[in-house]
Amino acid sequence: MPRAPRNATTRTELLRGTLDLLILQTLSLRPLHGYGIAQHIARLSDGTLSVEQGSLYPALERLQARGWVTSKWEPSPTGRRARYYTITRTGRRQLGEEISSLDAALLAINRVLERA
Amino acid sequence: MSFFDAMRFRVEALLHPGRHARETAEEVDFHLDLDAMQAEQEGRGAVSPEEAGYAARRRFGNATYYREETRAMSGIGWLERLGQDLRFALRSFRRAPGFTAIAVATLALGIGANTAIFSAVDALLLRPLPFPRPGRLMSVSLTVPQRGNFPPRDNVNWSWPKFETLRGMQHVFAQTTLWYPEPFTIRHGDQTLRDQGEYTDDGYFPTLGVRPALGRNFTAEEATRYNAGHVALISDALWQRLYDADRRVLGQSVTVNGQLYTIVGVLPPGFEGLSGQALLWLPAMTSSNPRAEAPGPYDHRFLSVARLADGVSPEQAAAVVATLGARIDAAYPDQNGQGWHWGATAKPLDQTRVDPRVRSTLLVLFGAVGLVLLIACANVANLFLARASGRRREIAVRIALGAGRRRLVGQLLTESVLLGVTGGVVGLGLAWAGARGLASLQLSTVLQGNGGVSVGVLGSQAIRLDPWALLFTLALGIVTGIVFGLVPALQATRPSLTEDLKDDGGPASRRFGGLGSRNVLVAAEIALAVVLLAGAGLVLRSLGRRMGVDLGFDATRTLTFRVNRAPEWAPDSITRFYDVAIQRLAELPGVTSAGMTDCPPLVQCAGTLINLMDRPAAAPGTEPQAGVHWVTPGWTQVEHIPLLRGRLLDERDRVGTPMSVLISETAARRWWPGQDPIGKIIGQARTAGGGLDSAFVVGVVGDVRYQGVDSLPGADVYLSYFQVPFYYRMMLFLRTRGDPLALAGPARASMARWAPGFPVYDVRTMEDRVGQSLAYSRLGALLLGLFAAVALGLAAIGTYGVIAYSVAQRTREIGIRVALGASAGDVSSMVVRRGLVLGAIGGGAGLVVALGVTRVLGSLLYEVAPRDPVTLAAILALLGLVVLLASWIPARRAASVPAVEALKS
Repeated sequence: MPRAPRNATTRTELLRGTLDLLILQTLSLRPLHGYGIAQHIARLSDGTLSVEQGSLYPALERLQARGWVTSKWEPSPTGRRARYYTITRTGRRQLGEEISSLDAALLAINRVLERA
Repeated sequence: MSFFDAMRFRVEALLHPGRHARETAEEVDFHLDLDAMQAEQEGRGAVSPEEAGYAARRRFGNATYYREETRAMSGIGWLERLGQDLRFALRSFRRAPGFTAIAVATLALGIGANTAIFSAVDALLLRPLPFPRPGRLMSVSLTVPQRGNFPPRDNVNWSWPKFETLRGMQHVFAQTTLWYPEPFTIRHGDQTLRDQGEYTDDGYFPTLGVRPALGRNFTAEEATRYNAGHVALISDALWQRLYDADRRVLGQSVTVNGQLYTIVGVLPPGFEGLSGQALLWLPAMTSSNPRAEAPGPYDHRFLSVARLADGVSPEQAAAVVATLGARIDAAYPDQNGQGWHWGATAKPLDQTRVDPRVRSTLLVLFGAVGLVLLIACANVANLFLARASGRRREIAVRIALGAGRRRLVGQLLTESVLLGVTGGVVGLGLAWAGARGLASLQLSTVLQGNGGVSVGVLGSQAIRLDPWALLFTLALGIVTGIVFGLVPALQATRPSLTEDLKDDGGPASRRFGGLGSRNVLVAAEIALAVVLLAGAGLVLRSLGRRMGVDLGFDATRTLTFRVNRAPEWAPDSITRFYDVAIQRLAELPGVTSAGMTDCPPLVQCAGTLINLMDRPAAAPGTEPQAGVHWVTPGWTQVEHIPLLRGRLLDERDRVGTPMSVLISETAARRWWPGQDPIGKIIGQARTAGGGLDSAFVVGVVGDVRYQGVDSLPGADVYLSYFQVPFYYRMMLFLRTRGDPLALAGPARASMARWAPGFPVYDVRTMEDRVGQSLAYSRLGALLLGLFAAVALGLAAIGTYGVIAYSVAQRTREIGIRVALGASAGDVSSMVVRRGLVLGAIGGGAGLVVALGVTRVLGSLLYEVAPRDPVTLAAILALLGLVVLLASWIPARRAASVPAVEALKS
């Protein structure tokens, strides 16, 4: 039996590796909790880019393990405590590198598409 | 900075897995709650908070899967994962103690047996000699060509002068030494020991690369001038035992064979010489008998070992030694003057470490025990497959919940490897017992008895469980774990979720449980068992043939031993000594007769070439040959060797009367076919003087297989020792009424009463000696038989398991058949047929393999062809019977299934 699609609603799947980039970019503005990060990405992309939320936390964990992000438990506006993520200095450097390499890639893709 | 952040994060996650999990859960809850709230506010379809929660959860996706992926990527995740897998494996074993016990026991049996045999292979074939740079040590010996009936040999001992010739001319060895082992009577204070020692020259310790721990080596003067120094070196063990490890031992005296020697050195702990059991070393040129002469050029008693000079290869050295062999032959030509040319040869010491028969026996056993382990693996794999189909729901649930397949396979493999290693650890007990049993066999003793030169340091007493054996066990445990675990693990995790989640116990399970692969495994088990059975059957039949051979003498109720003579005694007092000994021993209650011989059965001793005086001397090289036995007149009667013609030796045959000789039946037939040999005269060929100038044949006695079961009886002659009194190394024989060993004590006591200081040694029953001569054959047969029995048992269990399983799977089908009118007989024959098909496939495959490989049994076989049809037919019949039994039990259960119940279930 063929595997059922994971989600019925159509949406643009994130390019592999871009989730990290989006998270770092989001956190470069201010510290946020996980839900806030997901909301931020969805809002800014007008819902086009929807983080599959189950992959958000593993990604955050991965970023912490690499030392690009740290986290702290702090009270949230709702009164419950939440884990707030902050970008580190290496995280910022990484973000810069990833953006420039993404720019280069997008430029290359555009060129290919225009000539095709 | 960030590097430390990263490390802190990883370490904390590892150290506090509980807190980490709790926090993650809290974070996810927080996320879901916020998401649900948001959805409610936006009024996105959801009507109740509860449904909003579900929707949020759906949107969240498969968190578990991604988390595991993430963990797999982080550096220490594997360690954490291993810990989890081990904990999980232990839990699942605790839940199934029966399964675990059976699997561990099966593996312990297989791995333990393998380790035991490996320890023997390691000690006898692999382990480097316990000397520095052992690869540079060579064994140097003389060679003799075929001489009449004597086969050529390349392991002849040296005489001192011959080796001196070699030593003077060679330049390929940095060090050489001559030595030979000898049992000594060692006395210090009131303690007397009868123990192994060695005669050596001053090159012995430097050649082996050993220095005395205390004191000094022999000087060249002490070692090489005849009777120059009465000095001795002792082993660490003897130092502890007799001198309480007192450092003032140097300069003290020790009595060896009645002579005083001054101790000049103590060897380091653990060094026991090339014989592997020496306690004491004396200079090779000393003799405890002052009357004895310096060893002459034809006194071949010395063994030689040499260390290669730097830059010389073993091949170069062998070539040089071969060249020098011709010069030695020129200097000391063969005494028989027949133009037979001796030579010399050098081989790496490592190559001469064991008799080729030991090597082949060990390798055959190693192969066999490996097959047993394979069968054990197949059995455990079958258990795993059965269990996996029982666990398929659990596994399906875990796959559905997002467990990755690699992760699951890894976990199942962790289980099987853990099981394998546990089996190995449990099997160490068996391995330890097995290694001890093998070590106690004293294979090297047997070897010497059969004429080979053995270096005892490599003897079976060296067999033990050393770190290599433990490492081997561990490796075997891991490898077996993977071997039997991989197929079940891959099968169990094959994704086919929906049907397994339903778990109706129906036909899906047949596909999933891999009954196909279980059948293949069982057929393979049966095939392997057939190979082992064939080997065991052939070897057992050979042993039976060997034990059925009439050796020509009666070994029952016979006690044998040697007595240490007083070396300084004159020849006539030695005869008196033995004369009195025989008389007193024969008078012991329980002894019916006593006698002795210098050349007892199963001991390699000299033969000689014979002249038949009633015809012209035979052409050189064609003279008849005979084994010579100096005996007390009654010895042939003691051993129940029948007198066929004429008379026995008796009191008349003394010094001064014409020489009388008894000849064996074979000698009579070869030398005087169709004639009466009584009264004929024989002499020793081509020697002037000597005891056997001319002797009258007075009787013919039955043949004796002196060289053991595997060789045919030859021509033997018996002479009375009283006619030519001289020193012979005698073995005393007592025929007893009851248990011969019961007389060991009285015999010792009797000797001690009138001849104190002459210990009785080497006390054994003749049956024991005969048994020992069959040790290889018996060892091979016993172990192969044991392995084959285990293999057959495992194959039977495997067959039973797979048939019983198929019956359980088909209960409903059987119920329908019964309901439709099948009789109990129909049902059970259907089941049995299945077993027999498995047996036929496995048995056929096994037979084909067996026909190909039984040749490797080689010298283990005796008068049985490697493809002996009777044996092969018998083992196939046995196999058929066992398979029939193994499938009949589940068949009976199947036949007794009540139709209604089966249909309802």
